[in-house]
Amino acid sequence: MNIMRQQRLLGIFGVAIAILSITRTFTHNPDLTSAVTVSQALGFAVPIGLAGLAGIWSERAGVVNIGLEGMMILGTFGAGWAGYQWGAWAGLLAGIVMGAFGGLLLAIASVTFGVDQIIAGTAVNLLATGLTKFLAILLFTDVVGGGQAQSPPIKGTLPSFTIEAISSPLIALHAKDIFIVSDVAGVVAGLFFHLSILTVITVALFVFTAWLLWKTRFGLRLRSAGENPWAADSLGVNVNRYKYMAVTFSGLLAGLGGAYLAIAATIYRNGQTAGRGFIGLATMIFGNWRPGGTGAGAIMFGYIDTLRLIDSDNKNVRGLILLGALVLFVIAAAMIRTSRRATGIGFLLLGGVMIGGFMAASNFPPEVAQVAPYITTLLVLATASQNLRPPAADGVPFRKGEGH
Amino acid sequence: MLKGVKIASVLAAAALVLAGCGSSGDASASATAPTSSVKVGMAYDQDGKGDGSFNDAAYAGLSKAQTDLGVQIKEVNSGSSATDASREELLTLLAQDGYNPVIAVGFAYSTALGNVAAKFPDTSFAIVDSVVDQPNVGNLVFAAEQGSYLTGVIAASASKSGHIGFIGGMEIDLIKAFEAGYVQGAKSVNPDITIDSKYMGAAGDNTAWNVPDKAKAASAAMIGNGADVIYAAAGGSGLGMFQAVKEAGAGHWAIGVDSDQYTVPALADYKDFILTSMLKRVDVAVYDTIKGVVDGAPLVGIQNFDLSKDGVGYATSNSAVEPYKAAADKAAADIKAGTITVNTK
Repeated sequence: MNIMRQQRLLGIFGVAIAILSITRTFTHNPDLTSAVTVSQALGFAVPIGLAGLAGIWSERAGVVNIGLEGMMILGTFGAGWAGYQWGAWAGLLAGIVMGAFGGLLLAIASVTFGVDQIIAGTAVNLLATGLTKFLAILLFTDVVGGGQAQSPPIKGTLPSFTIEAISSPLIALHAKDIFIVSDVAGVVAGLFFHLSILTVITVALFVFTAWLLWKTRFGLRLRSAGENPWAADSLGVNVNRYKYMAVTFSGLLAGLGGAYLAIAATIYRNGQTAGRGFIGLATMIFGNWRPGGTGAGAIMFGYIDTLRLIDSDNKNVRGLILLGALVLFVIAAAMIRTSRRATGIGFLLLGGVMIGGFMAASNFPPEVAQVAPYITTLLVLATASQNLRPPAADGVPFRKGEGH
Repeated sequence: MLKGVKIASVLAAAALVLAGCGSSGDASASATAPTSSVKVGMAYDQDGKGDGSFNDAAYAGLSKAQTDLGVQIKEVNSGSSATDASREELLTLLAQDGYNPVIAVGFAYSTALGNVAAKFPDTSFAIVDSVVDQPNVGNLVFAAEQGSYLTGVIAASASKSGHIGFIGGMEIDLIKAFEAGYVQGAKSVNPDITIDSKYMGAAGDNTAWNVPDKAKAASAAMIGNGADVIYAAAGGSGLGMFQAVKEAGAGHWAIGVDSDQYTVPALADYKDFILTSMLKRVDVAVYDTIKGVVDGAPLVGIQNFDLSKDGVGYATSNSAVEPYKAAADKAAADIKAGTITVNTK
């Protein structure tokens, strides 16, 4: 990583902490940067992030993956089925295998047979939903603790760590309410607090993906299949083989995300993924088809969800509104500097309205509480989407020997 | 390319066939001792039996009618991606095949049942948890607020910290009534009690019933803030509350909903933490509906299953609830006598 990028990343992190810290101070709400919040946000971010990462693998090789949700569903089912019989690790493995099977299916349909990728992905979603429901009735109905729509409880859980030596003093520091210092302490403590092994694996998979796809020959060839498969083919790259590998691995990752959900819930249930495959797809787009941005997007979704859920008296939502306004100001400033003045001023005004709302009301009705996270998300997505660049041949079927 | 299209259609067809398999499991059993010519059509909400809660309670009533009255049965599920149109189709099929009564389990059937009931005026319909204004429909509604009042009394009595919690599924009037009763009951014991409440999703967000991880986060946060008793009316999401309470350890209690969750096998790991459950006797209502048809006097109009009809109540299968029974039973008597009126909002 070069110095410029390092500085930029540090800058973004610094601004984010400063915004959080200002919001926390003004709303007197330590929850915004507490270890519990951060730890929970990471927990929610894992399945979304894995789905997003799965999307990167597939789409970087030129296959649009609408089927992520279905592959996740297969993962939840595999984890439930193997998990109740042989424990959580077996469940994880079965979830991965089932997900990879979903990916392979998409690869066969879209790569070998050139089926429209959106249709093939939708078929995977339908197939996964129907198949798992059917299998649940078949396999779980007569088992003690199971039912037509759910597996018996999964045996055991995956290990999670709390490194007391690091988290305890930092949590104490967080409680002292010192501007910036306490917030950094809370965030860092959250990283060492109830940290699931799967969170660690997920972070490792992000780093591994970034390295493999952007720093190795294998990655260059895989990405060339998504940027210009005809050129890659002419240079002797077996495009279809790379697409197969990428899409199957994509299914594997989505299956891992599904397995995580089932194991965390200690049970498989129909409909458990609750659209997280699609949210993962959205974070991938938000992240510009890159691991860093996708990971950040997943954490953002996880953070917003956490704030809504751990909120006992709607004060977090008020904080979120201020937070959103501050983020808008920062983006507006950046836009005005890079001479996208009109949009920038628009954001400035919107931020002003939100600040006004924040000042005027000390408590927001629950309806606002419900939609506020999504509005904030939409705004961030809308602003981020202006510089997006998908792989050039994403979604374009490739037939060997056909020119272009 | 033609080959591709073929494969696509095969895939799509397979998907549809499998999706079909998933959404309508049926089981018909032959009657034993007493026999009756009455054929009962039962349409469950979402994925049907096995939820350890609402649908299972409906099934309990149905299976009692099967043994006691000898009726024939057919069960269908709406599936989790059901639409009003697909629900209407399910109900129409049941009515066409001569099932009478046709019982729809869950408020999600309201619109569909209204349309179908108008088309089959000679068939008796019943809907659980909703009101459909048709002359041939029995509306099986429950005074969930009354049952929740009792659990509120128990929660406030059991709480040492003076801080309790409520986890709701979808934020709709039906579930808000649970919260309202719970809050009122708790405040009747301890006017200064702190009550946190959180819903898993807004009206229309069907995922709200299926996100135990989110319910766990919300419950853990309540416990972190000092709550020591939590009541969940959130369908499958309720599991997350049990997990959070169990992790918090002794001294923390969970209160279940709809059926007696202390005795549900799927929740055996958590039973030591389930103080009681608010019972919504869907089984009683379903049985009474079927019996009405068998006796030639179908229930129509609004049938409010409240405390006086034993339509709601609380579970006593965990002996830990003993110390609080006197207070809860007194509240129940007062509600029946009309000296306490329980709010629904």
